[in-house]
Amino acid sequence: MASDSNDDRKIQLRVSNHIAYVWDVEDIATLRAQHHICGVLTGTLPHLSQQNVFLGVPLVLLPEEVVLLVEKQLAVLIDDPNAHQPAASEALARWNAERESSAKRQMAASEAERSSEKAAKLSTSEAAVQKRKEREAKRAAAARAKALAEGLPIDHILASVPSPTPNTEGRPATPARSAVPVFNVVIPASSSEIDWYNPDAHAYSLLEAARAVGLWSYPTTPYERAKCRVFQDLWEKGNFMGGGIKFGGDFLVYPGDPLRYHSHFVATVIESPTARLTPMEIVAHGRLGTATKKSHLFCEWDEVKQEVTYYSVEWAGFG
Amino acid sequence: MERHPSYQILSASLSKYPKAAGALFQTYNDLKLAQQWSDLEVIEVPGCSRYALRGRRPNTDVVLNVVPCSLSESLSTDWIRTTFRELNSPAHVYLAINTEDSSIVYYKISPGIVKPPL
Repeated sequence: MASDSNDDRKIQLRVSNHIAYVWDVEDIATLRAQHHICGVLTGTLPHLSQQNVFLGVPLVLLPEEVVLLVEKQLAVLIDDPNAHQPAASEALARWNAERESSAKRQMAASEAERSSEKAAKLSTSEAAVQKRKEREAKRAAAARAKALAEGLPIDHILASVPSPTPNTEGRPATPARSAVPVFNVVIPASSSEIDWYNPDAHAYSLLEAARAVGLWSYPTTPYERAKCRVFQDLWEKGNFMGGGIKFGGDFLVYPGDPLRYHSHFVATVIESPTARLTPMEIVAHGRLGTATKKSHLFCEWDEVKQEVTYYSVEWAGFG
Repeated sequence: MERHPSYQILSASLSKYPKAAGALFQTYNDLKLAQQWSDLEVIEVPGCSRYALRGRRPNTDVVLNVVPCSLSESLSTDWIRTTFRELNSPAHVYLAINTEDSSIVYYKISPGIVKPPL
């Protein structure tokens, strides 16, 4: 990896199929804390039956968020599929060997921990030792009786009953289970750890360059361009934004971190000063906003003057 | 319509912009008789080819501006901008949206990002 200082390192937006994902937890924290961009976590936990409550990486960004970050030179787009190159067999073998030895080390450490926990639990008082001896003797007698009843050779039975073990430290007194112990082993899943993942060679710091290779195509239409400009204007005013689908708008707008505020505004982007706006839309947006204690913002983008004009709409409260 | 008491006051305004006449007439009557506003006057908004109304809600001193329109019209943010300009930049403009069954809904439009009331 390049030896840039952390300040130079831009946020890595890993693009796959025209969607930008953030996989690095540090980047996710930076986005929220320093750039007031929240995104949406979409990673699910395989063992949870409900797949929409606890979510983890990757973070998915709105296309407007991606455009803003790249234009402000805070992030680069990585062509993720192409950054994953075919692995040389030597590299694969090395990766495999490292993974195996890591797993073995983890299992050994877990086993050692388990034994020492068990030993710590075993009492070494005389009474306890005596009790354990009696228990062992009883078990052996019971097994012998059973063998006689079933007509099995006593030797066989005696051999299968573990003899009472001397009580040295670290040796369990009860018979060990015949099953193989089960351990959890952590294996690295991130592509950043892999030799044949090369994001630097497939990074784009300009939207046009990404567009030229077919990696990123947003915005294309005047409406999409208007949405980008309105998003940028709201962001430059210090707002946090979220998706507006739950409230029938383009964005939700928060004066601060969404964890601390309910959003004050629902924003609808108006493509141009002359774009058709029907009274019915004003009613629908205004009424929903008022009912949810928010204001509805009509955000007009003027391509000629290159500026955003806001109008706040709420139900009048009479009539 | 001509026999209605309000017609006299509004006749000039109604004939100047015929397409907006229905909405103006309905809104004027609603504000005067149902909402009981006082000191109602008619203000021309030539850029939007209509007249607007100005008056006070019962027991208040604040003068409010109301622009009537019909549910079937096509507006735009330019249209809204024009109403603010020609009404001398009030703090808010109320849009009175009229329907064919004579229902009216009023929506308050304010320029800029205005926080909702608590």
